[in-house]
Amino acid sequence: MSDRLLEVRDLATTFATAGGPLPAVGGVSFDLNQNETLGIVGESGSGKTVLSRTIMGLQPRTNVTVSGSARLNGFEVVGASEEAKRGIWGTEVAMVFQDPMTSLNPVMRIGKQIDEVLRVRLGMDKAAAKARAIELLELVGIPSPVERYRAYPGQLSGGMRQRVVIAIALACSPKLLMADEPTTGLDVTIQAQILNLLDRLKSQLQMSVILVTHDLGVVATRTSRIIVMYAGRVVETGSTRDVFQNHRMPYTRALLESSPKVASHSHTRLQAIPGRPPNLMKLTAGCAFAPRCAYATERCHRERPELTAAEGPGHAFACWNPLPTTRGAS
Amino acid sequence: MARYLIRRVVMLVGIVFVISVGAFYLIHLLPGDPAVVILGTGDSPQNRAILFKELGLNKPIWDQYFIWMRNILHGNLGTSFISQTSVAGTIRAALPIDLELIVLSQILAFATAIPAAMRSARKPDGPLDRVLGATSFTLLSIPPFIIIVLLVLFIAIKLQIPHTGPSSYVSFSSDWIGNLESLALPAFTLAIASFVVYYRVLRSDLIATLQEEFITLARSKGLSSRRIMWRHAFRPSSVALLGTAGVNIGGLLASGFVVQYLLAIPGLGYTLISAIAQSDYLLVQGIVLVVSVGVIVINFLFDFIINLVDPRISRE
Ligand SMILES: Nc1ncnc2c1ncn2[C@@H]1O[C@H](COP(=O)(O)OP(=O)(O)O)[C@@H](O)[C@H]1O
Ligand code: SF4
Ligand SMILES: [Mg+2]
Repeated sequence: MSDRLLEVRDLATTFATAGGPLPAVGGVSFDLNQNETLGIVGESGSGKTVLSRTIMGLQPRTNVTVSGSARLNGFEVVGASEEAKRGIWGTEVAMVFQDPMTSLNPVMRIGKQIDEVLRVRLGMDKAAAKARAIELLELVGIPSPVERYRAYPGQLSGGMRQRVVIAIALACSPKLLMADEPTTGLDVTIQAQILNLLDRLKSQLQMSVILVTHDLGVVATRTSRIIVMYAGRVVETGSTRDVFQNHRMPYTRALLESSPKVASHSHTRLQAIPGRPPNLMKLTAGCAFAPRCAYATERCHRERPELTAAEGPGHAFACWNPLPTTRGAS
Repeated sequence: MARYLIRRVVMLVGIVFVISVGAFYLIHLLPGDPAVVILGTGDSPQNRAILFKELGLNKPIWDQYFIWMRNILHGNLGTSFISQTSVAGTIRAALPIDLELIVLSQILAFATAIPAAMRSARKPDGPLDRVLGATSFTLLSIPPFIIIVLLVLFIAIKLQIPHTGPSSYVSFSSDWIGNLESLALPAFTLAIASFVVYYRVLRSDLIATLQEEFITLARSKGLSSRRIMWRHAFRPSSVALLGTAGVNIGGLLASGFVVQYLLAIPGLGYTLISAIAQSDYLLVQGIVLVVSVGVIVINFLFDFIINLVDPRISRE
């Protein structure tokens, strides 16, 4: 079954800042099917967090304009009232946040933080919510959940806290789980554990997952499709295989070469992407990557390339001077 | 937590000791023979003999201190030779008025400051926030004794509301409604000063807390704004509020003294000022001791509450 769960069309998010409008996300479109895992990758500052929050309608409540459309299981998120969105938060879509050190309430016992959502959203009574919360702690692999139920976040390690955040996200069995850099703040060994846990939960609970990361190595084996973002736009998208092996956009290659995991596999040297991310308030009419791109030509500075289809299914890239295709070559 | 508590209690005992030495030494700091200071107008050979026996005035100063301390621990603060009454008894009669004033004013202040700060923090720089900000700033610049004078002029004298004017204090045991009426204006005056401080402290902490990632997570759970404000934002934002409230108690007592004096409400403040006027130094000493220890203990209690509110503090 490939039922459509999420349809994003021309989604754009602009913040009103003291220095003028800041277009953090500019016209993103993609679809997500049920039980699919999609990767969103891009450098820090490329708009991944803003995009994923906008998709669930969780952007800040002031100084922000959203246009376009994001339909989640038939519900139009863009323009919906906070009250209407509360109806889908937790139950339709839930988010695992980037930094487990700051995303849990430091003065509330973790058990209460899970209980609360069960009681408020699912109307469980106190005893049932507690029993379910302990079950959830067990599900996300927290040892001695009965004792941990009473712990404060400060008494747990980063990895354990992230498991608690996952337990909260899973409490109302959402159809879509957004994981925004769920392992960025964690040790390497813990990273793998958390990613494997998400994988296991995804198939166990029949969810769709959007996995957001700046490290392509993280999504290599876990996603079916990938969206590559730069300066708030999609610059390449396709099956995970195509993005890794037949990428056409120079920025995608630069991202691959900067990923510790991918680079060490292919024995190429780890390279940081030269230059600095663009200032979103001073974007030019051309390709946003042009100032850092080795392949840039005069046209790149003048005109912005739109996404154009490549050979692979759903594979598209935005570049005037694409890298040669490797399809069929090997 | 237990270790934290023990450390705090040891500190508390230390501070109380220092205060007690200070209060004890007060009498000796005043110029002249301590016996003369204490006896004042009640100086007579008999009284002098009683005093020497009671306080061991011919013994070394440390022995005098221990005699004095032992008496205090037995609830005996001495007998005033000026009014011929027990100092402890006088304080026991006056203290409840101060406590009532503080409790009433703090209930009023918290009950108004908390919702006001929450509304302001919900939309910083919104119309309501601006109005409250301007109001609190204005109130901040008017000292309490001006406020009480204005209130008395308007409510007691112009509107002729009973029990609200000067010298109209009614005791709680004789008529509790009259008692509340007679303390309404002073409590309100003290509440205004506290309100301004509490409102400002809580507002800025709430605004900061509402930016935190765990608030966004709470939002993503589908909780109502009201619940997020009370259950998630309020508690971590109330540490500075409680700290301020603890420190504020000292200033509150002082403002209370002035207000009591202006309205002739027979609390500790009024009693203290009369005692000074009559050179009743034993009574002064007793009040100083009780008030200082009281302030320290209240601060200690607030500190303890802060730890219950934010478990991170005692863990560090
Ligand atoms: N609330 C906000 N107000 C103004 N600018 C913001 C806000 N949130 C994010 N941004 C800006 O949007 C851009 C994209 O940020 P983000 O989505 O967090 O990037 P990523 O998650 O890819 O690292 C950044 O330039 C950031 O400064
Ligand atoms: S469009 Fe030009 S500048 Fe942009 S990535 Fe392609 S080659 Fe580089
Ligand atoms: Mg991010």
